[in-house]
This record gives sequence, C-alpha cells and structure tokens, in this order.
Amino acid sequence: MAESTSKLDFQLYVITGANYHPGRSIVDVVEQALIGGADIVQLRDKTASKQDIRENAHKLRQLTRRYGVPLIINDHIDIALEADADGVHLGQDDLSLAEARQLLGPDRIIGISTHSIEQGLAAQAGGADYIGVGPVYPTGTKPGRAAVTTSYVQEAAAQIRIPFVAIGGITLGNVDTVIAAGANRVCAVSEIVGADDPAAVCRAFKARLNAAANHSQSPSRQGQSQGTSSPNDSQSSAAQPHDFAGTGVTVNGVAQRTTARTVWELICQHRLEDRRIVVELDGAIVVREEWSRTPIREGAAVELVHFVGGG
Amino acid sequence: MMMNDQDSLVIAGVKLQSRMLLGTGRFPSPHVLQQALTASGAEVVTFAVRRVNLEEVEDDSVLQHLSGRHYTFLPNTSGANNAEEAVRIAKLARAAGLGSWIKVEISANPRTLLPDPIETLRATEQLVKEGFDVLPYTSDDPILCKRLEEAGAVAVMPGGSPIGSGLGIMNPYNLGLIIEEANVPIIVDAGIGSAADAAQAMELGASAVLLNSPVAKAKDPVAMALAMKLAIEAGRLSYLAGRIPKKRYASASSAPDDSLFASPAKGAL
Repeated sequence: MAESTSKLDFQLYVITGANYHPGRSIVDVVEQALIGGADIVQLRDKTASKQDIRENAHKLRQLTRRYGVPLIINDHIDIALEADADGVHLGQDDLSLAEARQLLGPDRIIGISTHSIEQGLAAQAGGADYIGVGPVYPTGTKPGRAAVTTSYVQEAAAQIRIPFVAIGGITLGNVDTVIAAGANRVCAVSEIVGADDPAAVCRAFKARLNAAANHSQSPSRQGQSQGTSSPNDSQSSAAQPHDFAGTGVTVNGVAQRTTARTVWELICQHRLEDRRIVVELDGAIVVREEWSRTPIREGAAVELVHFVGGG
Repeated sequence: MMMNDQDSLVIAGVKLQSRMLLGTGRFPSPHVLQQALTASGAEVVTFAVRRVNLEEVEDDSVLQHLSGRHYTFLPNTSGANNAEEAVRIAKLARAAGLGSWIKVEISANPRTLLPDPIETLRATEQLVKEGFDVLPYTSDDPILCKRLEEAGAVAVMPGGSPIGSGLGIMNPYNLGLIIEEANVPIIVDAGIGSAADAAQAMELGASAVLLNSPVAKAKDPVAMALAMKLAIEAGRLSYLAGRIPKKRYASASSAPDDSLFASPAKGAL
C-alpha cells in the first residue's frame, strides 16, 4: 500500500510474544500495535509448531501490508521466503549471515542480535541491515542472559553505522534512559503486546522517541551521563499511555488528534463523504472502496484533495 | 462550414471539433464560467488539484459546475516544483476517475511562472511510463518540444509568453519551427491576450490554443469566449487557406490593363 522511502526507516520495533496475550489473537494484538504506530514487526515464537508459525506469518504478512510496515521473521528463512516477508532476524547461534544472504537474496532485510560491540561490528561488516543491541535490561523473553546495560548502547551509538535497535526489558519507565544513551530505535515485546491497550503504549513510545529526535537537534543533549543508570530507574513516569487521547495525524499539512480509526471515519468527521475527493495516505492513494477498511495509524500523513479552477 | 467538419483534431484518440481548450480558473462566478464554456464551444477543460479546505464548509470544487456536459478533462500539475511532485499530483487526479489526460505544469520561477524544462521532460517521461496521456506545458524551445514529443507526449504545449501576462506570441519564429518539426499536435498554452493573438497562433499552424486568463479576466468573459472561438476558427481557416507571401512593395489587386487612362499601346495609331 504505502511506498516506504527506505528499506529500513523505523523507530519502534515490535516483536510478537503470544504468551503475553492469552485469549487474544496475534493479529488483533499486532494490529493494535500498528495502529499505535509500530514501524516494523517481527514474528517470533520459539515454542509453536512450524505449521503454526507459518500460518501466523501469512496472517501477519497480510496485516502488515495493509499498514505498509515491514514484517521480519525470526529464525525461519524458509517461512520468510514463503510468506514473502521483508526479512529475517537471526541470533548469534543461528545460520551465518553469509549463508542467510545467499538464501534470501540481496533485497531482503537481515537483522542480527548482538550482545557486545565486537559482535555488533562483525554483523555490520558482514552486511547485516540492522542489529539488535541488548538485552539492555534483564528480560523475561531471554531468561538467564546477562544484561548488557546501556553501556553497549553508548558504544553502538558511537561506532555502529547501520541502524541499531535497543532491545531487552525496555519499558515506558526506562525508555528515556535508553534514548539518552544514544538509541534512536527501540524494541519492546511484553510492554507492548502484553498491554491491555497496545496502541496506547505504542503511541507513548513514539512520543518519547519523537521528542528525543526533535531534542537531539540541539547540541546540549541531556542525559549522556546517565548512560549506566540502573534497570529499576523509572524516571519520568509522567507520560502514561492513556494521556494520549486519539491518534495523532497530519491532515492536509495540519497536525490534529482524531478518534477516527479508519479513513472513512476521518472523512465523515470532516463531512466530506459526499464530495468528490481523492485520499492519499502516507504518499499512497487510497481508493474510495478501501476507505472503510483502511486504518488510520499514529503519525499518518493524510492528504484530502479535490479539483478547483485552474488553467 | 464544410472545411471545419472534416478538419477535426485528434489527441490521444479523442476527436475534437473545437480547437479551444479552456481553463476554469479566475472566473468571476461559477455562472459566468458556465456561460463562457458554452460560448467557447470548448470540449477540453483544465483545472487544478488542491487540498480540500477543511475550515470551509462550502464546496469550492469546480467539477460540480461541469456536470451534465460532456468534456474531456485535462487536470494540471500546477503547484508541483519537480517531476516527482507532478507525478504525485497526476496520480491523485487519475484516481478521481476523470480519465488519463494530464497537463504537466512545473513552474520554476514565481515571477515568470516559466516552466522548468528539465523537470518537465522528466515528468513527461515518467508519466508516459505510468500510462498517462501527457500534454506538457513547456517553453517555446524547438529542441525541447521535440524531446517532449519523443518522450511520448500526446501533444506539446509551448507558451506564447508567461502565464496570464497577455503578451501574446513573443517568438513566432520559434513557434513556427516547433510546428514545422512536430508529429504531434502543438497547442499554444499561456500568454494569449486577445482574439488577435489566438488567431495568430492558429495562422502559424498551431493545432489548438489553451486559454484561461484572457477569457476569465476580460470585462465580459462570455463575449470574449465567443471572440476567441471565432478567432481560433478564423485563424485555422486562414492557415489552411494559405496566406500570400509578404512582399516589400505593392502589388495591385486591380489589374492595370485596359485602364481608362492608360496610354494606348503603340501601333494602335
């Protein structure tokens, strides 16, 4: 649907974790995350049967296409190819980068988990498209692995030239510390997919990341010295997810918050449903038949145009 | 008129009886626009793609005033600063289901509104690839017009002078060369000020004229629409009829032979 400008243009990376949302479908939870502004989705399931993973891959492929967001498959290159995912994510003990590249071809994304700057630099040299940097904090999804703390985030910020995403135990309580250590991209699992309202949590993460991105224009970037603060550091818990009512969108160049969940609802709110207009969402035209099926997500840029006198 | 019936213009497979393309901007009211359209006999109308004004409840869309008549729609890409923006606007226009014609208009200078030749060529190439019927508004450069034709434009539209200036055809020599070399219709777009300019364009061999300001901003737009129609028809007929060569001195139209006062021929005595 949307023509993404670059292969890897993301801030908020969401990884699935079915055990965190018993009773709710993976599609439902991931869709909520996408509505909240998740920029990239990884399907990860270390326990399900391959057949179940395959089925979920196909479902998430359809879903992420609708939102114009890349889908990454953890470990399973064959499933990634079969479901036409955008790429794979591999751990240090999985298939080598070179072998994976051969199987996937030049265009698909390959991400690598790294736990030290040596591993990060090796993955970068080996042609990874991005790396995971973590676990920053101890995490339930990787029990027993020692946290690398924000010191590796600082090293990565200084030395890694490909996109790196901070991962591991990141919550709204500690994300500012991770950002202050130099991360422009963060990944969360349980904090998002385990939430009652994944969309609201994603919006809150995006707000923090955007605030930091705007702030980093100024030379005196605060918090560089807090790089090694403890995992329990839950500073500035002021911005709770529910502070953000509605979805932040830009319509015809003007920022607004809307309760509309779809393009159709947005158009009705502006009382344009009977007018001959054309809708563009994030640079891609949405045909009228798709309006009611096309969701409005956090950060969306909407253009509503029509025809006026001209020569 | 017999000659007019056979002398139709075909652009992208569409057969047109009228050689006037009329813009819809700057008319004093929708009513005057409609009257002028009727008086002009134009079958192709142009308009612009703009953001809906979300503050305004009133519908200022131009299409509502064009319903109930059969027109070929020629949306323009005005407002685009480069090829990419022009392609984006073209796609939005096509998504409205108004056909596949597009007037590429990429102005590079706010004071002259003269078209950016490089971006215009790039946009034309891209839009042809995307399946549009492309009518680029361009400067009156013979080589550029040829390049646009080669890029697949269904018609090429050089300006006579800057948009809305009413300066008429500033370089008839270039325009003549463009027309001589062309294998697609050449439409003079922009700069026409009065009926005389329109007639001149047609006498130079242009296939059609695209107008907006000289009609919309005339004291009486409806009368001017008719004047332009007649001038374009007259200019076309004049071109087809073939004008006489220009000479430095007189050449009497009444033959001098057997004049009452002529001296008798020698030998008649």
